Amino acid sequence: MSEPVTSHPGAPDVVTVTFSADTRNVGLARTVAAAMAARADLPLDQLEDVRLAVDEAVSQVIVDAPDGADVECSFVVQGTELDIRVSSASISGRPPAHDTFSWTVLTALVDDVTVTVDAGRVTLALRISRQVAVEA
Amino acid sequence: MTAGPGRTTRWGDEQRRREHALLEQLSTLDRDDPRRAAVRDELVTMHLPLVHHLARRYRDRGESSDDLVQVGTIGLIKAVDRFDIDRGAEFSTYATPTILGEIKRHFRDRAWAMKVPRRLQELTAQVATRSDELTRDLQRSPTVRELAESLGVTTDDILDAIEARHAYSTASLDADRDDDAERPSPIGDALGVDDAALEAVEYRETIRPLLEALPERERQIVMLRFFHERSQSQIAEELGISQMHVSRLLARTLGQLRQQLADS
Repeated sequence: MSEPVTSHPGAPDVVTVTFSADTRNVGLARTVAAAMAARADLPLDQLEDVRLAVDEAVSQVIVDAPDGADVECSFVVQGTELDIRVSSASISGRPPAHDTFSWTVLTALVDDVTVTVDAGRVTLALRISRQVAVEA
Repeated sequence: MTAGPGRTTRWGDEQRRREHALLEQLSTLDRDDPRRAAVRDELVTMHLPLVHHLARRYRDRGESSDDLVQVGTIGLIKAVDRFDIDRGAEFSTYATPTILGEIKRHFRDRAWAMKVPRRLQELTAQVATRSDELTRDLQRSPTVRELAESLGVTTDDILDAIEARHAYSTASLDADRDDDAERPSPIGDALGVDDAALEAVEYRETIRPLLEALPERERQIVMLRFFHERSQSQIAEELGISQMHVSRLLARTLGQLRQQLADS
């Protein structure tokens, strides 16, 4: 059976990009974020929030990344939900503080943010679900 | 379709008399007379069709119709305030260059930062305008797919237009500041940078002055989106600008704040 992969509507749509921890690459992550938000059929205002959130999350991990580190961004679209993971090696080995303006911004832009630190690598996981009903 | 310079509807004698009466009344009132506002509002409302007509001339140049009408209206308000009835000119003749001047200034301030192909500039304008229309019809922001179907293009085309939109020059900060001084704020001063809003933020003594230093409209947008849980579409509606413009202002302001916080 050789059905094309895209014909399985229930299968998650996964894209991962890796780039060096340099602010010049933030725009790249934003562009992929917008494309994946479109695949989750998010309305434009939520799509723009996702762009801003990825901008903020990538900027946060870059600030604490050692020279020569890579940032990995993975995007998973499942139905109307978009999960984004932004991770990088961390100099401090600590999660970003929750009492900063940057954190306030990030949590206002997405439905949920969780942070994990594992072997000196910080991962910000963002979850976005479509807020409104859209006709298919 | 047009009956005179910039006039879209043929006015009856009654409307002409009303216009003249209002202009005369305005010329007798002091700058700070409270009765002035109502007279001014009626004159502005009467001439909005002229603004719409002039804005339509620039519809395929990369800006949403709503934003063009808004800057054009600023020109109209300026014209009402500056018009000298004793000079004997027609008000619409006097107002037309002022309105066009504001619209042209809007384009000059928002010159494309990158070389964007003409076709993409046109598509960007169509996306902006259609997005406003669909937002009104659907009572929510449209999706990329809905925009693509509505305009008969691909979703990738729409995404290109969204990216192009963000490639606009940021040289318009000062221009926005000028506009803010003249644009009455629909929300007023209700959105100060208060302690309650910033309660959860450590270093609020660092962030507060940065927020307070923002131009009025940028500060309102930041406070509404991040401290009052409004969506970009709700903010757009409250401030009378397009959601795409809200996005651009938010992106630019956050970038600036991030830079300033890193420097401090």
